[in-house]
Amino acid sequence: MNASIRPDGKDDRLPSPARRRFLIGAVGTGFVMAFADASQILPGTPEQAIAEKVYDPALWFRIDSNGVVTVNVIRAEMGQHVGTALARIVADELEANWADVRIEHVDTDPKWGLMVTGGSWSVWQSFPLLSQAGAAGRIALVEEGAKLLGVAPDACVARDSVVRAGARSISYADIVKRGNLSRSYSAEALKAMPVKPVSERRLIGVDTQAIDIPGKTDGTAVYGIDAHVDGMVYARPKIPPTRNGSKVVSVDDSAAKTVKGYLSCATLDDPSGTVPGWVMVFADSTHAAIKAADRVKVTWQNDDTAGVSERNLLDHAAKLIGDASAGATVVNDAGVDEAFAKAASTLQQDYTTASVLHFQLEPVNATALQKNGIWEIHTGNQWQSLILPTLAKALGVGEDKVVMRTYLLGGGFGRRLNGDYAVPAALASKALGKPVKMICTRADDVRFDSFRSPSLQRLRMGFDAAGKVVAMQHDACAGWPTQVMVPSFMPKGKNDRPYDPFAIAGADHWYNVGAHRVRAISNDLANRAFRPGWLRSVGPGWTNWALECFIDEAAHKQGVDPLTFRLNLLDASGGNAGSAPNAVGGAKRQAAVLRRVAEMAGWGNALPQDTGLGIATSFGQERDMPTWVTCVARVRANRTTGVVKVEKLFLVADAGTIVHPDGALAQMEGAALWGLSMALHEGTQFEDGQVRDTNLNTYTPLRIGDVPDLQIEFVASTEAAVGLGEPATTVVAPAVGNAIFAATGVRLRHIPMRPQALLDALKKPAGPS
Amino acid sequence: MIKRMVLGLLGLIAAAVVGLLILAYRPAIDPIEPPSATTFSPALVAQGEVLAGAGYCATCHTAKGGAAYAGGYAMKTGFGTIYSTNITPDAATGIGRWSEEAFRRAMRQGVARDGSHLFPAFPYQHFNQVGDDDLKALYAYLMTREPVAAPPREPDIPFPLNRRVLQAGWKLLFFRNDAYGPITGGTPEWNRGAYLAEGLSHCSACHSPRNGLGAEKTGADERYAGAAIDDWYAPPLNAANRAPVAWTKDELFAYLRTGATALHGVAAGPMSPVVHDGLSKLPDADVMAIATYFADRFGAAGERAAPDAALAKVLAASAGGGGPVDHGANLYDAACASCHYNSGPMPLLVRPELGLNSALTAADPSSLIQVILHGVAVDEGLPGAMMPGFAQSLSDTDIAQLASWLRRSRTDQPPWPDLDRQVAVLRTQSESSRSTH
Amino acid sequence: MSQFQLNGRPVSVEAEDDTPLLWAIRDDLKLTGTKFGCGIGFCGACTVHLNGRAIRSCITPVGAVAGQHVTTIEGLQPAGQHPLQKAWVAAQAPQCGYCQPGQIMQAATLLADFPNPTDAQIDAVMAGSLCRCMAYVRIRKAIRLAAAEMRAAAQPATEGARP
Ligand code: FES
Ligand code: FES
Repeated sequence: MNASIRPDGKDDRLPSPARRRFLIGAVGTGFVMAFADASQILPGTPEQAIAEKVYDPALWFRIDSNGVVTVNVIRAEMGQHVGTALARIVADELEANWADVRIEHVDTDPKWGLMVTGGSWSVWQSFPLLSQAGAAGRIALVEEGAKLLGVAPDACVARDSVVRAGARSISYADIVKRGNLSRSYSAEALKAMPVKPVSERRLIGVDTQAIDIPGKTDGTAVYGIDAHVDGMVYARPKIPPTRNGSKVVSVDDSAAKTVKGYLSCATLDDPSGTVPGWVMVFADSTHAAIKAADRVKVTWQNDDTAGVSERNLLDHAAKLIGDASAGATVVNDAGVDEAFAKAASTLQQDYTTASVLHFQLEPVNATALQKNGIWEIHTGNQWQSLILPTLAKALGVGEDKVVMRTYLLGGGFGRRLNGDYAVPAALASKALGKPVKMICTRADDVRFDSFRSPSLQRLRMGFDAAGKVVAMQHDACAGWPTQVMVPSFMPKGKNDRPYDPFAIAGADHWYNVGAHRVRAISNDLANRAFRPGWLRSVGPGWTNWALECFIDEAAHKQGVDPLTFRLNLLDASGGNAGSAPNAVGGAKRQAAVLRRVAEMAGWGNALPQDTGLGIATSFGQERDMPTWVTCVARVRANRTTGVVKVEKLFLVADAGTIVHPDGALAQMEGAALWGLSMALHEGTQFEDGQVRDTNLNTYTPLRIGDVPDLQIEFVASTEAAVGLGEPATTVVAPAVGNAIFAATGVRLRHIPMRPQALLDALKKPAGPS
Repeated sequence: MIKRMVLGLLGLIAAAVVGLLILAYRPAIDPIEPPSATTFSPALVAQGEVLAGAGYCATCHTAKGGAAYAGGYAMKTGFGTIYSTNITPDAATGIGRWSEEAFRRAMRQGVARDGSHLFPAFPYQHFNQVGDDDLKALYAYLMTREPVAAPPREPDIPFPLNRRVLQAGWKLLFFRNDAYGPITGGTPEWNRGAYLAEGLSHCSACHSPRNGLGAEKTGADERYAGAAIDDWYAPPLNAANRAPVAWTKDELFAYLRTGATALHGVAAGPMSPVVHDGLSKLPDADVMAIATYFADRFGAAGERAAPDAALAKVLAASAGGGGPVDHGANLYDAACASCHYNSGPMPLLVRPELGLNSALTAADPSSLIQVILHGVAVDEGLPGAMMPGFAQSLSDTDIAQLASWLRRSRTDQPPWPDLDRQVAVLRTQSESSRSTH
Repeated sequence: MSQFQLNGRPVSVEAEDDTPLLWAIRDDLKLTGTKFGCGIGFCGACTVHLNGRAIRSCITPVGAVAGQHVTTIEGLQPAGQHPLQKAWVAAQAPQCGYCQPGQIMQAATLLADFPNPTDAQIDAVMAGSLCRCMAYVRIRKAIRLAAAEMRAAAQPATEGARP
C-alpha cells in the first residue's frame, strides 16, 4: 500500500523526502509547521512559501499566540480516536502541554496529498513524520526561547509548552509572539532531527482521554447525516435490482403525488458509471422522501446478474479454483508441485465464508451543493482521494472544482473507503439545481452496500514420512474490491497477473512450510454481480479463517498439539526472519504472542465436558506491517441446541509501540468482537442479485448479551507502531472454530457457524472428514 | 358463515314474514320540543355523567376524531359494519325530540322513538337491567350535552339483514328481559357489582361468545368464556381464564382503576377506553364492586395474588432471555426485551410482563398480534407510557414467530395454529379500517 | 401538526402526524443528537425518553406524543453532565459514537428500573441498543460507574421530563 493510491494511477504521493524541506513560518497570529517541496520554495522565505501555499504538508500543525497547538488531521474519525493518537505523537516531540492541544479534521485539499483512512495504517504511516515535525518545532522553539532568555540553547529544557533555563522560563505562547521562528530545514537536516529517546516520552504510551469522546455523549458530535445546508432538498434513492446492470425503463410517480411534501423525481445520468439505474426521489423532508420513494414505481431492465445467488458465486469459485491456470500466484516457491508429488501424505480442505454486511450504524448519506463554482460534498468518508476523481467525472468538472467537507463517521469498517454514495447525491444536486441531502433508509444502505464477498478457499499441505511439513498451497477465490474500485492499485503476482493484495493478505503467512504457493483468484461473477467491498481486515478475515482452521486440522492429523505445531513452523528462519523497520524479529514475535496467550488461557489444562479451547494466530493485515496477534477462545457447546457459547476470549497483540494504550485496547475489543460476530452471529446470502437480509429483523450482528469475557494484553515494545483497527478480527473465528472442534470433535468449515450446522454435523456418523 | 346465516334468515323470513310484520310493529312516540338544559337538576346531570361513563356511551357514540356523542363510530360485526347514532340533543339528527319515555323504551327494548328497531349492537338486552332512577339521570345527562348536527350513517350491511324490521325476529329469538339479570344473592357489594357489570357496563357483550346470529351465548360455561371482538380478543372472565396469577379482587380493582397492574399487564385495544374513558368516571366503591363480582366469577375471590410458582416460572422465562437458536427469540431480544424484560421476584409495573398477560395466555392470539402491529397509545394502558407499533418493522412471518416463541417460552398453552395467516388477516383488516376512518 | 414538550420546552411541529418522532426531532426541531440507524426499532440509535422512559423514536409517530414530554440526549442534562454522560467519558465508551446517545438514553431507563443492575439485567435491557463498533465492554463498565455514582448521590436523575 505504499504505492500510488489513485485509481488513474497518477502518483500524487508526497514529494519524496529527498525533495522535501520543512518549514516553520509566521502566518496570521501564529506559526505553522509544514513540509514543502524544495524546488518550490528555494529561494524565498518560509513566510513567502506559506503565503503562496506551495507547501505540501502531509501533516502540519500550528501554534497560535495563546500557545494553542492545533494539529491538522487528514484521517477520518470513525471510532478509533485517530486525532488523539496523532496529536499525541506531535505533542510528545514538541513537548507541548497536552491541555493546549487541539485537533482539526480537515476538508479535502490537494495540499494534504493522499487522504485515506483504512488498512490500520494511520498511526503506522504518520508516526515517523509527525515525530520529526514535532521535534523540529521543539528545536526551533528552544532556540528562539534561548535567544529571548539570553542563554545558550543547550542550557534550555522544553517541557509543557515552556522553555526553561534554570529559574528563568518563557512560554511557547510568548516565543510565538516575540520570537522569529522562521526556519527552513533541508531533508538531511530533517532526518537528523533529534527525535527523543523512548525513555523521554511523556505522552506516547500514556493513557489519556480521547478528544473526540465528550461530544459523542451529549449529542453535539456532527456526523454526515447531520449535515445541514440552507435551501437543501431531501432525497431518497430508488435502488435498482442489480448493482451494475440495471437500466431505468419507466418511472411512475403518480402514487407519490399524494404524499405531502413530495416534489419530484429524476433518473440520474451518471457519466462515471457509479450508480447505473438510479432514480432519485425529492421531497421537503426526510419522512416525505422516504414515504414518496416507497410509492414511486420504477421499471428496470436488468442484466443476467439479477439471477445470481450465493450458490452460483461459490460454484463459480469452485470452478475457478479447479482450474490450475487461474489466478495470480502471490507466493510461488520453486518445487511446490514436486514437493507435493513426493509427499508421504497430504491434507486438503475447503473453507467458505458467507457474505457479510458492513452495517455501519449510520446509513450512507451525502449532501451536495454547488457554491461559487465549486461542488461541495458534505459526508463522512475514508478515502477522499479515491472518490474525488469519480465525483469530478460524474459532475463533468475538474477535480479542483470538487471539495469534500469532513464529518465524523457513524462507523466506517471499510464501507466508506468506497465513496460511491457521494456520487448520486452530487448528481441529484446537479439535476435539481439545488442543494440535496440524500438519505438512505437502512434497507437502501444494505442493498447498496459493497459487502464482503463470499469466499471459497482450498488449502493443501504435504508432509514427509517423518511428519514434517514440506509443501503447502492456499488458493482463495472471492470478489475483489480493489479490482473493481482501484485496479491500478493491484500489484502483479509471480506469474505477472495483477491481484488484489487485500483479498489475499494473510495467506502469505510466516510459517515455514517448505515449498509454498499462494494463489489469489478473482471471482469475476461476484465482481459483476455486486461491488465487493473492503470490510474490516478484508482478505485476512477469510484467509486466516481458512489458514488457522487448516493448521489446526493439520496438527490433529499429525497428532501434534496445535500450539506446538504452530510454534514448530514459526521458526523465524529464511524469509520469515523479519526485517527493519516494521517487521523486526519476524515470526519470532508471532511465536512469542502465541506462547503468551497459551499461558494466559491455561492451554493444556483439563476442561469440563463439551468445553474446549481453540487457538489461532495471524500477523494482522499485511506482511509489510505485521501486527502479531493471537487468540484463544474458550467455548461450551450445547449438543441439544447446537448453540455455542463463547465463554472467554484471550487475546495478545504485539503492535510495536502503543501510542494511545486505552484507544488501542478499545480497537482490540471492537475488532475481536467483530471477529466473533462474523464467526457466529452475522452473515447473509446473495439472492437473485441482492443480499437477502436488509435490516436487523433478520440480520443479526452480535449484541451486548453475546459478549464474552475478554482478556487482552499488549506486548510491551518500542518497535515501530503498527495498526490495530483490524488485526484482532482475523483470529477470533478460527479460534472459535478450533475450540468447537476441541469441545465436540466437529469441524465446521463455514462461517458464520450457526447452531444448525453444529447440530447437523453432530448427527453425522463419525468418520473420515 | 355469513352465507349460512343469510340462508337461515331467509328461511326464517319465508316462514314468518306476516307474523313478523305484526310482531315487529311498534308505535312511534310523539316528539317533544327539546327540553332546555335548565329543566334538569345539576345533581341529576352529575349522576348521569358517572353512569354514562359506566356504560361507555361516549366510546361507541363518538367517531374517531368526531364530536362526543355525535355517533358515526364504526362497529364491525359478522354481518357488516354498522355506525352508531347521534345521541346529542340535536333536534334534527340526534335525540333532541325524544321524550324520557322514548329514551327509556330505547334502552329497555331497543326501539327508537319512531318505532323502528335498533340493531342489537346497541346492548339494550343489558341496559334493560338499568333502574328507572339511573335511566332518568342518563337522560338528563345526554339531554344537557351540546347538540351536534350529524345525520346517521347507513349501515354497510347487505340486504336483507339491513332491514330493521328483521330485528324484531332477532328479539323474538334471543331477547329476554332478564337474560343477564337481575342478579342478586351476594353481599351488597357483590350485588352492586353485578348490577353494573351485567347492566350498564355490559361486560359480557365483549367477553362472551356469540352464536351465529350474533346473540350472546348464555350457557353456564359459555358466559364470559372469552370472545373475538373488533379484531381483538376479549379474554375469558371465568375459570377458563389462563392468567398465571389469579385475578383477585385487588388485582381486578387495580387493573380497572388504573389500566395496568404488574401481575396482569395493561388494558389495550378496546379495553383501554373501558378503563380510561368509562370506568374512570365511577367512584372507587363501584369499581371495587365490579372487581368483587368478577373475582367471584373467576373463582378467585378468596385468593391472594401472592408470588407463587406460576409467577416464578414466568419470571424465570423473562429473565432467561432469548438465545440464538430461534428467530422469534432473536426478535424479542432486539425489539422487546429493553421494555419487557423482568427479573427478580416481582415484575415491574412499568415493564409489562408478557408471560402474565391474557394476550399471551388466551386461546386466540388476536390481541397479542394487534399490540405487536399497532402498539399501545400513550393514553391507553398504563397512562403516560406507550409502545410503538411494529407493523412497518416486522413481516408477517416475523410476528408469527415472535408470537409463537413467546407462547412457547412463557406459557403452558398449546401453540397457536396458523399464526402467519392470522397476522396477515389482522394486518389487512386494520389497514383497510384505518383507511376508512 | 403536533405540540409537545421537548426537553422541557413546548414545541410544535408542522410535520404530519404519521411522521416518525425521530425525523420531527432531527429535521423540524434541528436536534441531531438523536440518530437514525435502522428505522424499525431494532438498533436503539433513535432512543429518546417519552415521559421519562426510553422509547424508539423511529417507530413512534409524532402525532402519538402530542401533549407529552419528550427528552433527547441534548436535554438529559443541559450541560451534558448527567452521571451517565460522565461515566461514559470516564470509561471512554464511545468509538464512532453514533449509537451512544441512544445507549445513554436507554441506560437511564435501565438504571431507573434496576438501580444496581446485574450483568443479566444490563444485557437484557441494553440488548436493543446495537453498537456496531462493539464498544459493549465499556458500555457495561460505564453503566456500572454511573449506577454507583447515582446510588451514592441517592437522588433521581435530573431530567426535563416528569418521572
Ligand atoms: S433507528 Fe430507531 S431503533 Fe434503529
Ligand atoms: S460507538 Fe459506533 S456504533 Fe456504537
